[in-house]
This record gives sequence, C-alpha cells and structure tokens, in this order.
Amino acid sequence: MKKNVVKRLLGLSMAAVLTAGLLGGCGSDGGDGGNDGGSSSGGKGVTLTFGSHQSGLPTSGIVQDLAKEFEEETGIKVDFQISPDAQWRDLIKVKLDSGEAPDIICVDTPIGLASSIHMDQYCIELTDQDWTSRMEDSARSAVSANDKVYGITFPGAKMYFYLYNKQIFEELDLEIPTTYKELKDICQKMLDAGYTPIYEATTNGWHQVLPLFETGGLWLADDPDIYDKLNANEVELESIPHLLTIIEQLDECAKAGYFGADYLSNTMENAKGAMASGEYGMIINEMGFRGEVEADYPDFKATEEMGAFVMPWGDNQVIGVNPASNAYFINKESKYTEEAKQFFEFLARPENLQKRLDGQPELNALCWPEVESKYSEEDQAFIDSLEKANVVQTSVNYIDSQWMDVGKDLEAMYTGAMTPEDVVDTIANRRNEQAELQRDPGWE
Amino acid sequence: MNRKKLYPWYFASGAAVLFFLLCFLPGIIGIAYSFTDWNNFTNDIRFVGLDNYKRIFEGNSEYLLYIKNTLVFTVVTTIAKTVVGLALALLLTRPFIKMKNFQRMIIFSPQVMSYLVVGLVFKSMLHPTTGFLNNFLQDIGLGALAKNWLTDLNIVFPTVMTVDTWKGMGYIMVVVIAGIMSIAPEYYEAASIDGANFFQQLKSITIPLLKPVLVNATVLNVTYGLRVFDMVYSLTNGGPGNATGVINTAVYKEFSKGDLAMGTTLSSVLFFVVLALLYFIIKSMEDTEV
Repeated sequence: MKKNVVKRLLGLSMAAVLTAGLLGGCGSDGGDGGNDGGSSSGGKGVTLTFGSHQSGLPTSGIVQDLAKEFEEETGIKVDFQISPDAQWRDLIKVKLDSGEAPDIICVDTPIGLASSIHMDQYCIELTDQDWTSRMEDSARSAVSANDKVYGITFPGAKMYFYLYNKQIFEELDLEIPTTYKELKDICQKMLDAGYTPIYEATTNGWHQVLPLFETGGLWLADDPDIYDKLNANEVELESIPHLLTIIEQLDECAKAGYFGADYLSNTMENAKGAMASGEYGMIINEMGFRGEVEADYPDFKATEEMGAFVMPWGDNQVIGVNPASNAYFINKESKYTEEAKQFFEFLARPENLQKRLDGQPELNALCWPEVESKYSEEDQAFIDSLEKANVVQTSVNYIDSQWMDVGKDLEAMYTGAMTPEDVVDTIANRRNEQAELQRDPGWE
Repeated sequence: MNRKKLYPWYFASGAAVLFFLLCFLPGIIGIAYSFTDWNNFTNDIRFVGLDNYKRIFEGNSEYLLYIKNTLVFTVVTTIAKTVVGLALALLLTRPFIKMKNFQRMIIFSPQVMSYLVVGLVFKSMLHPTTGFLNNFLQDIGLGALAKNWLTDLNIVFPTVMTVDTWKGMGYIMVVVIAGIMSIAPEYYEAASIDGANFFQQLKSITIPLLKPVLVNATVLNVTYGLRVFDMVYSLTNGGPGNATGVINTAVYKEFSKGDLAMGTTLSSVLFFVVLALLYFIIKSMEDTEV
C-alpha cells in the first residue's frame, strides 16, 4: 500500500515536471523587443535592436562596422538581428502588430503603395531631421507617405541594363541593338557563331521578370498618367499592349534558343562565372555586376570587357529607374527613439556615407548627391545621356507583391504550359484578387 | 478493476489540456478561418461562407491541379516504396547475400538525410549539362537517354517521385525486414519439404504474415505522401511553372502572398482528405486483425 502511495507521488511529480517543461517553451524571450536592458537615458548602456532581412544589409558588413564606430563614440550598442529574405515581410508585420518589433527596422521601399508595409503607421516621423533634405528627391519620396518622411535610405537608384561582352560584339561585328528586331538579329548571329546570346536563369524566380516591368518608359510614352490610372483601376492591366508584346518576344527568343539550352536550370549565382567564361553574349544586370565578376574572376576584366545598353524589348529605349531599395525606420513603440535618431544622424554624416559607398563593391552610387558615385566617366556620361522613367513595380500597386509568381508564369510559358495571353491574364487576375483582398477603393 | 490502475486519469490531464490548447483548438480555429476572407492586409475579418472552397473546386482552377498532383504523388510513391522496399527486404534476408547489415545501412542512409540536402544534391546532379546523371549517361554511350530531368513537363513529376522513392524506400525495407525476421522459419521448412518454390512461399507465407506490417507501412506512406512539401519545394519549388505544385506548396504560396484564408482552406481540404483516408485504412486494419 505504502509503496503505491510513493509511486503515485513520484508519478504526479514527474507529470508536473513534464508539464512545466512543456510550458517553459511558451515563455517569450523579451530580448527581441528591445524594451528591456538598461534604463538610462544618457546613451551609455543602451542597446538598440536593429532588425533586417539578409539583403537589407550589405554582405561586406559595412553597416556593422559603422555601428561599432558609433558605439565607440556614444556608448550606444547596436544589436543586429537578421532574418531570411523570404520571411521578413510577414515576420516584421507580425512583430509590429504584437509590439515585439526591434527599435530600428529595415524594410524594402517604397512605403507609400497600398501593397507596401505601412511603416507610417508603425514608425516615428523624421521630417524634422536635418539630413532628410540631403537625400535625392526620388529616394526621399520612397521613404515618405503623405509628404512626411519616415525613414533613411542609402543605395542609389537601381538600373538594369543589358551588359554585353565587347569582345564577342567586335569579333562578329555586331552593333548595339536599339529595337527588338535588331536584338533578334544579333542573337541569331551569336548563336550561329557558337555563342549563347543571352544568359537567363529562371530558377531564382525574379530575373526573368525584369523585361516586363523595367520598361515602364513604353507605358508612360503612351500615357504619362498611366501609373495613376492603373492604381485607380481606371485602366486595366490587360489593356497595356507592351506587356503582351514583350512576353511574346521573350517566348519567341526562348524558343529560338537565344537563352541557351539550360536557362530553366540555371541560377543567378552562376551568372558571374558564365559571363567570365566568354561563352555568353549578354545578361540583364546592374552596372555594378561587372565589379562583382571582376572580383571573383580577376582574369576577365569585366569592367573593361563589358559594355551596357538599354534593354530593347518592345523597342524600348528608356532606362527604367528604380528608386526603391531598403530603408531604416524607427519603431514608434521603442523606448530609445532619441538614441536611434542619433544613430541615423551618425550614418548620414558625409564621411560615413563615403565609408558606406567604399565598403560595398556591388554598389555604384548612393542616393545622396553630395557623395560622388563610383561610375567611371564613360559610364556616367552614358547614364546621363539616357532618357529615364520610373519602373512599373515601384509606381503601380500589386505588381511587386506578385513578382515571384510572375516569374513562375513565365517559366510555365517557356515549358509550354501557358500561352503569352494566359500569362497576361494571370497577372491581371492576381492583381485584381490582391486589390479586392485589400479592399482597394478603386476595385469596390 | 480500473480503480486499481497505477495511474489515474488526471495524470494525463496536463498533457490533454496542452494538446487541446496548442493542437486541437488552433486546428478547429483554422477550419473556422477558412470560411472568412482573413488576409495579411486588413485587420477586420469578414465571413464569406463557402467562397474559398468554391474557388478551389470551381472551373479549372490551378488548385485542382495541386490536388490531383498530391493524389498522384501519394499513390505512386506509396506503391513504389512498398514494392521496392519489400523486394530489397526479401533480397537482404537471403542467406547468400554477404555483408547484409552493411548493405542495409547503405540503403537506409538516405532516410536520415534532410530533405533540403537531398533536394539540393539532386538538383545539381540532374542539371542538364553540368549534372552527374546526364554526363554519366553520355560517357557510357547512352546520351540519347539524357533528359532535362527537372524542366521537361513530361518528366519532371516522375523525377520528383523517383527521388522521393529513393529516399523513402530504405525505411520501408527496414520495417519489412523486421517483419520477415519475426516469421518462424518452421513455416518455410515445412513448405520446402512440400516442394514449394520461392514464389509460392512468398505468396502463401511471407505476404500473408507481413500483412500487418505492410498495412502500417501504407498508412505511413499515404499520410506522408498527402502532406509532402519539402521534397517538392527543394527540388522544383513547384515548377516549372506550377507543374509539380502540391497542396502544401500551394498553402505555403498562399500564406506568403498574404491570402491567409485561402491557405487555411487548402489545409482544411487536406485535413478532411487525410481524415477520411485514415478512417478507411484503420477500419481495414481492424478487419485484418479479426
């Protein structure tokens, strides 16, 4: 009998321990919130939490280096918490809603579109800060909502060109194409000479989509207010002729073998090696890509061997400018908003801007005109000579949010599972679906 | 009698309460959410009735393709894993095979690898020009068999199922070997005295006595097949296009798109399918035991 009681007690206490163990996992780790730690207001002992996605921070670690200098100067520590790209958007939304977001938040801009994360609701206004006037207008508008500035951003506008192998062009006596027909002609010549004309990689999901929406200049040439009309749903996406034209042209080029045999298996990670091998004629990328190629493959002097031209899909000759990038914001709920503002001021100092540009090999320019860009004189003159237009995805709602899906649609088209018309319809339907989900007034 | 049991019911209550709060209740709430338009963009949730279910089953929606793919995947991999696992088990219990345990270990080893690793390794092995498989085929003079394994619409789904079978067959083999070892050798002895050959023994002794084991393996394979995600995600991410999408890759896609209600609707559909199938499988198991 006695033995039984002991066993019972033992069993009961074991069950209690197990239950406690299970519940232990439910506790929250308050460290994330950044609302604990030292309580002094003088800066010393304060730790600012800085939440970002992987691509929000340069891989060279220059931001972390700057943060260390900031700590030496002020005693305020910056603790970086980095999450995978794909989950960041959802993660930060949940954290913001549950009050667990870090003090400083890095997210992709623009913040003013209906489909963006509405940082203006969650973050403090920074319009009164001295540095805001020193940013480029387009960059400032990307971190503003209703003419109020909420964030600080650094990278210069993104521009995607066709980067081409000068040697192949010389060898085959090719001219830079300005129309789709000319592009097709040079592709055919390269193919006949045994080169793969264009390096394309669809497995990453995003690269193949660039021709569709980086050519917004075509849309604006037809109607300068087209972006506003699309956002108000006065014009339907299906009615834009260039979208279908370019998708048909992509399909034609893929079927003609201009992307090579393996474009559906290729990855962008292998693009540098492919271009350095001299077997590929062209690739869509930013100018800074040449620097990256040269860093990895010093034998191939990419900065000299590769030229750039505007992608002539749909006979486009206007370079798409994407002022959006990532930007830093200060959480409204943070205890240390003053310290965070101090950190932004520190980052905005001219010498620190210069350090940032120097410390990032893939970056050519900042959106701070006072810092001279890394473009060579030739490149700068070339860029200055081009007509520019904002890209579609930063101006029209519900495009950027379905970017990867469009990549899959194109993939399906290349394998024959979809027609170019299907792709346009699917993009338009998805856009309507998302607008209705968000109860966009234009769709009510 | 029950009163004399060592552990009274309330010992289980802690676990039961936690299970109810953390597993059962969220599941029910999830099903409830499938009748709303819950999404990432607005905070108020509206009741929309069966709209989400209609969207799945109406017309020629892409979701029907995902459901079809999931069912095909489940049926094919279940049969393939069971047949290959059984064949390997029979082979590796024969007395003439040397180093049995070593060979069993080799065949079982893919099971302990992560799906992501297997996916990445096969992705590079199956690359059309730089991959091992096509290069190997070319080197032995079978270049005609080299294919675009992961981008050709006609081949990609069989490829995914083959890789999954390769990874999963070892486990079924181990389970079946355990079953075979537990069959008393006297049966075989008696059968061989009666002049039964290998196939007769297989049909009349091995398979009937392995039935409970095979039913268990089928339950495992079916529930795994219906819930498959990692293998498809890491090998093709549902591509090219949506050709290899299954229910769970669609759920993942809907959640990342912000259409949370559609995600829970698809999960609910999967839940009902699994529930119905399990009911019948368990019923049939009860029959075999009687």
